[in-house]
Amino acid sequence: MKVESQIEITPTSVVLNGQAIAVEATGEKMLVELYRRFVGDYPKFFKMDTLSRLGFIAAELLLKHSGASEHSDKSCQPTAVILANRSASIKNDRDYLATISEGNYYPSPSLFVYTLPNIVTGEIAIRHHIQGETAFYILEKPEDLEPILLSTFNFKLSTALAGWCECSEPNSFYAKMQLIIWNN
Amino acid sequence: MEQLIEQLKAQIIEALSFEDMTPADIDTDAPLFGEGLGLDSIDALELIMLLDREYGIKLADPKAGKAIFASVRTMAEYISTHRTK
Amino acid sequence: MVIVNGHSIISPLGEGSQANFEAVQAGRSGLRLYTDRFADVEPFCASLFDTPQDFVELCVRSVELAVSSQNSAVSLQDAGTIFILSTTKGDQLDLLRPAQAIARHFGNPNPPIVVSNACTSGVCAQITAMRLLEAGIYRHAVVVGCDLQSRFIVSGFQAFKALSPEPCLPFSPERKGLNLGEAAATIIFRRQPSAFSSQPVWTLEAGAIHNDANHISAPSRTGEGAYLCLKDMLQGLTPADIDLLGVHGTATLYNDDMEKIAIERAGLQDVPVSALKPFFGHTMGAAGVLETILCMMQMENEKWKMDNGQLQIIKMLSGFGGVNAAIRLKLKIQN
Repeated sequence: MKVESQIEITPTSVVLNGQAIAVEATGEKMLVELYRRFVGDYPKFFKMDTLSRLGFIAAELLLKHSGASEHSDKSCQPTAVILANRSASIKNDRDYLATISEGNYYPSPSLFVYTLPNIVTGEIAIRHHIQGETAFYILEKPEDLEPILLSTFNFKLSTALAGWCECSEPNSFYAKMQLIIWNN
Repeated sequence: MEQLIEQLKAQIIEALSFEDMTPADIDTDAPLFGEGLGLDSIDALELIMLLDREYGIKLADPKAGKAIFASVRTMAEYISTHRTK
Repeated sequence: MVIVNGHSIISPLGEGSQANFEAVQAGRSGLRLYTDRFADVEPFCASLFDTPQDFVELCVRSVELAVSSQNSAVSLQDAGTIFILSTTKGDQLDLLRPAQAIARHFGNPNPPIVVSNACTSGVCAQITAMRLLEAGIYRHAVVVGCDLQSRFIVSGFQAFKALSPEPCLPFSPERKGLNLGEAAATIIFRRQPSAFSSQPVWTLEAGAIHNDANHISAPSRTGEGAYLCLKDMLQGLTPADIDLLGVHGTATLYNDDMEKIAIERAGLQDVPVSALKPFFGHTMGAAGVLETILCMMQMENEKWKMDNGQLQIIKMLSGFGGVNAAIRLKLKIQN
């Protein structure tokens, strides 16, 4: 198993392969800043909930700006996206709840679709054309993902985008994702 | 009608999270789906909810939306004859 | 490959796998019209428990029933046993806490795993269990699938125009959408075969998960992810080796069209299918577990079909996020 590249995003910092990326904004605004700087051509980003924006930006930086994509053998194209967190889609669940409050009942379909934590894995799969496995786990702590990853990829040649992607409040989130390569 | 069209464009931009767009960017007669704005199935459902929330129009049959959501103009025309608020 | 050691279903149709299987055999459905269960939502047709259930208590009862049905005893307190909960909305939007409460109730020392992969969760959770056991990390896995309905879920599916006001009609040209349902279902898996038994034994042979990489809510028009799952499940086999295909069959226009395309692409169009949502509704996190159990029981009733002393089923599911999953199980006489 080899960690090809790694990213860590907090509301105030972005660290890609040990190198800090300077950001001006914080929280949700920082994710928009990163989108404008590193992506810019994917307006669907603005339809996403914060959890999906976080995972999307992390995947984007890992796959397109970490140097991993410079490999010629394409072994760095992930075939799976396996993410986990502790609070599922709770931030967006609350946003959706606000659209069905009593006396003001207009349930929003575009918010409802994000009331599932695995949507972020779908967004990443769509963006990077990954038709392999996508999965989302709710766990007590990031280390609890290790046996799951080990048993998923053990003895199989594969490349996966995996890690922690958590967002409990609009400006309270944490992502630690890796591009991992398993060879026999 | 022109006022309604402008208001509707602003509401569409808000409801569908078109971050980098202003009402002037939306062509009143361009198709909303397919070419044009390129809306998808969730956007269609969100527009149905917009009609209900802003204009008190309940669209029971989502298929009826096709003709109504052809363009901003057809939407505005439908709203002006069916609105309850 | 892992062994199915025991299972249970609790639904509005009854307590225990056998009661639910008999209800289906008798053509009883849990679906009925609800007009005032939740504020604001339009009248909807669903399969709900008569009295509101406590999520954790329901799951605990389901595990207890599964334990009592076992071929051989599994210690739930053992560090070699892992609890895996399959749910989409958990206990009032909380997914981790109920999983911890269930594991704690049985004195299990391991941090539980919650699989939340939209409507495929119940099949994905079984795949996770199989892998953890095959990798030797655990000896036993208790997979519990459960979801309860709420104003939150019903309002969302209504906003999606996905609910049928009448009992759903999977694969019918007249289908109008899905019905929601409530249930808890449990399967206990073990790594090692138990001592010799004259009874045939079910094994979970393989599983696959694939994303359409197409759209977060609309199924792929070519059934891409579902087809890839079925193709994986047929590796080394031919469609004639499959005796029953448990479809998702939500009865929405697009899901059933997509599944039909995937099934035909995989060459499985001549295999008998099982579509259970007209009896239970779409039980979300429970669906993959509940429907797998009933497919197994259906096959046990048709043992005369056994050739080479075995029967095989595939269970498939698809969900929001573009995710699709399938598993293959085998019923075999031990020798």
